[in-house]
Amino acid sequence: MKRKSIALCMAVCLCAGIFTGCGKDGESQETAQKMQNEQDKQEKEQPSVVSTVFNGELEHDVTIQVLENDTAVSKGYFAELIEAFNEEYAQYGIKAVDANMDQYLDLANDGPYGYGPDVLYQANDIIMQYAEGKHIYPLPAEKMECFEQIPEAAWAAYRIDLEGTAYTCGVPVNVQAPMLYYRKDLLPQDWENVWDENGNKIPDMAENWNAMYAYSVSRHAENSSQYGYMKSLFDVYFSSGFLFTYGGYIFGNNNTEPADIGFSAGEAEKGAWVLSQLASTMNEECIDDSITTNAYSKLADGTYFATITTPDMYSTFLEEMILAYEEEGLSKEEARAKAEENLVMTTLPALPESGDLTEEGASFLAAKSMGGINGYAVSAYTKHPNACLAFVEFATSYEMMVRRSELLGVAPARNDAADAVGGTSQLLYNNLEAGNIVLMPSIKEVSQIWTPGETFFIDLAKDAFRPEEEKKYTDLDAMKKGLEGVDQQIYDAIFTLK
Amino acid sequence: MRKKWNAGKILDTAITYVILLAVAFVFFFPCLWLILASFSKSGSIYSFDGFFPAQYSTASFVKLFTDTTMYNYPKWFMNTLLIAAGSCALGTFLTILTAYTMSRFSFRMRKPMMKTTMVLGMFPSFMGMTVVYLLMTQFGLINHLGGLILIYASGAPMGYLTQKGFFDTIPRSIDEAAKIDGATNFQIFTKINLPLSKPIIVYTALTSFTWPWSDFILPKLLLKEKNLYTVAVGLMSLDETEFARFAAGSVFIAVPIVILYFCLVKNMVNGIAEGAVKG
Repeated sequence: MKRKSIALCMAVCLCAGIFTGCGKDGESQETAQKMQNEQDKQEKEQPSVVSTVFNGELEHDVTIQVLENDTAVSKGYFAELIEAFNEEYAQYGIKAVDANMDQYLDLANDGPYGYGPDVLYQANDIIMQYAEGKHIYPLPAEKMECFEQIPEAAWAAYRIDLEGTAYTCGVPVNVQAPMLYYRKDLLPQDWENVWDENGNKIPDMAENWNAMYAYSVSRHAENSSQYGYMKSLFDVYFSSGFLFTYGGYIFGNNNTEPADIGFSAGEAEKGAWVLSQLASTMNEECIDDSITTNAYSKLADGTYFATITTPDMYSTFLEEMILAYEEEGLSKEEARAKAEENLVMTTLPALPESGDLTEEGASFLAAKSMGGINGYAVSAYTKHPNACLAFVEFATSYEMMVRRSELLGVAPARNDAADAVGGTSQLLYNNLEAGNIVLMPSIKEVSQIWTPGETFFIDLAKDAFRPEEEKKYTDLDAMKKGLEGVDQQIYDAIFTLK
Repeated sequence: MRKKWNAGKILDTAITYVILLAVAFVFFFPCLWLILASFSKSGSIYSFDGFFPAQYSTASFVKLFTDTTMYNYPKWFMNTLLIAAGSCALGTFLTILTAYTMSRFSFRMRKPMMKTTMVLGMFPSFMGMTVVYLLMTQFGLINHLGGLILIYASGAPMGYLTQKGFFDTIPRSIDEAAKIDGATNFQIFTKINLPLSKPIIVYTALTSFTWPWSDFILPKLLLKEKNLYTVAVGLMSLDETEFARFAAGSVFIAVPIVILYFCLVKNMVNGIAEGAVKG
């Protein structure tokens, strides 16, 4: 009897649950419409999030935690920055301190529990992933002093569209894009006669990839333990620029449409062909990340003539070269002077229109590359948003951006700072404005491009070391098919389980 | 009587030695390589002359303790020592108490408790990481070395079965004799059983020390500030160009364990000898 009563009770509960979904159609629609209108009305009446949070009233007597990147900390720039800021804002009792956390923090997990920094410095793709998860505050960018000085392309990397409103979630600080590093003292003795066709006192190897390829071949032929250009080709960040130069892209509609994947678009296969030709002048270490890791010491000891990596690694190359010169018997000062003279960092050489690195009298295209904009953002978990904004304003001022560039060798995103610093910073800034730097998409689907891309580039690099009859990418059609496969794999990765 | 050596015996001994040497080499070689790499002058793994460094120096060790701007190894080392020592003291105390109670006293639910702890001990500790993290945030123990000591020490008694097995081997007749002489339970434990249990206490202390000393997952989860890192987490955060520093740090971390072992091994042997029931 007891059992039956329990069973009956459970059956009634179950039916009650099922019937809760019943009701007049019109009634529920009416209710939903009413709720939607109410919500819209409330949203219209509410002041925008940006002006509510950043109301201009500085919080007094507070400490804000700032997370900078390791290079800025190790080179002493960050200490200078917070010292200058603390001096300026001492009257308000605002103090900035080092968040003292790993630069690759997990704001999404730690922030809600109060363990993240208040201000963070990260690449645009990372910040925008946090922005999508609402872990970052949108900023009143237009009201900031640096707004006019930073190009629209850089601001666009930090913009997110939510329910028809565009929000800016970060302030661009410096442009990151691949740069060519080479050693002037490893150029041939007669380079000014033989390797400077246009007589502009810049070696042809730094101006076009055809000359770089030819020099790589000749250097390795002269001494089999030495190489010309060396780079780990599997790295999508560095290798995809070769595809972009010939019409490839990541996502359509300015990198906002994940359904339109374009690694194989245009004549991107020519870029793959260039990579394949360059691989043939390297050794098998180009297949994995060995060269990326050993490039610092191998460039310093003269094994490699050139490589590409981001501008913030300049100081690491320089330190390695100083050590190498010291081992040759030079004093510290002499070694530094010699290293600074011989280590050259410049923008990427031009690519031949045909994709053929052996073509004579070729016409060239300006090389495109994948890049990023590193910048500051304010955590949505901070208790002092106005003090944080004041810090971001201070850190992105003209003086601090110039100082940052001088100490770290990075290219500022501010036009006036890039002008003042000149050199490669100016070149990088110009490249950004000219559209030769394809900024990493700021949508979360970008996380799916790396593995398929790496798989293809590894296979392409391996091809250079396969016996002739086993080669997979023997012509442009095969390379096109390979790239189409990459597009399909990325599409599947994004949409299969969506 | 002299042993007779025939061809079969010699071959058998030779093969045994060859196998033992090969196994020893397999285990010893990575350690040797790491020690030599820590003395590499260039600091880069790519400048090695074949498998070993081309030139040697102590620069990596000097840098490890002097260049603390980015990587504060001395601080990490002291953090690790504090956590390991704290966990060792508290964990050993709790484990010994648990094991002694389970071995010597009969009470209701004793058997079910033993079975439950045995089953719970079969689950890997990292399964509860999410819960541990959430609990620690609620208690405000993230970024606190004390939080780690608490977790390690409170988890240690779960592995009390070995210690219980040891206490079971101490004859109860000694306890009964002491009871007849008027000793309390506390006196029996401290004056009789504890001195006889030196070997297992040393064993428990060693294992309680080595686990937090080399653990990575828990400190990585709970310590967000670089100055609070343990050596394992700190070494993992080194830049890819800092190989020699990594090797030097890895070699130096073995020093306290080795010292501890040599200090305690004597007590371990003495304990075994003293713990024997004499006629």
